[in-house]
Amino acid sequence: MDVSVEVVGEERHEVAVDDDATYADLVSAVDLSPHEVSVLVDGRPVPEDQPVEADRVKVLRLIKGGRT
Amino acid sequence: MPSSHLSLSTAAADSIFSHARDGASGDTPREVCGVLVGDRGDENTPDTVTGVRRVPNVAADPRTRYELDPETTLEAIESAENAGRDVVGFYHSHPESPARPSETDRKEATWKGYVYLIVSPRNDEIRAWRWSGERFETLGVETE
Repeated sequence: MDVSVEVVGEERHEVAVDDDATYADLVSAVDLSPHEVSVLVDGRPVPEDQPVEADRVKVLRLIKGGRT
Repeated sequence: MPSSHLSLSTAAADSIFSHARDGASGDTPREVCGVLVGDRGDENTPDTVTGVRRVPNVAADPRTRYELDPETTLEAIESAENAGRDVVGFYHSHPESPARPSETDRKEATWKGYVYLIVSPRNDEIRAWRWSGERFETLGVETE
């Protein structure tokens, strides 16, 4: 299926993935690591191990850190 | 090459300090965080922060870690963009330590070209850096 993937703050990608692909596969397809992003559909985070059902998703690079 | 300065409105600075003090008060201090809104500059014009949006810290241990809640972050970014403003970067507090990026902050920075601002309410200090993709480059912060 074809999915429009917008990396928030960056560019939009048109990605073709297998019908059984997961959101993590989608993230990998735009050269990002699932560990450094959150995938959102209609503004809400979706589990990255779920199969892709949406044709438009947003990928947000996580903003995080810590004292140690 | 972007400017090495950051212009921070007095109202934005006050809001960041107020948020950081809220997090530092109470029995267990916690890091607070949010989005910096304004206008991104260029090589001759500094980035300008005129507003902030508080975002919940969803880190497992908010005393020593921060992670902006993704859903609220996306809302804040889209709200800023719909109002014709830019996301300039992000802030977080160090309630018990100076306003300096830690090794963890470096390892986990992902927004290349954006401002990472750190506030230390204990030291009454705000400092900012731009993430180059490899290192934090110091920005001169001008409050006006």
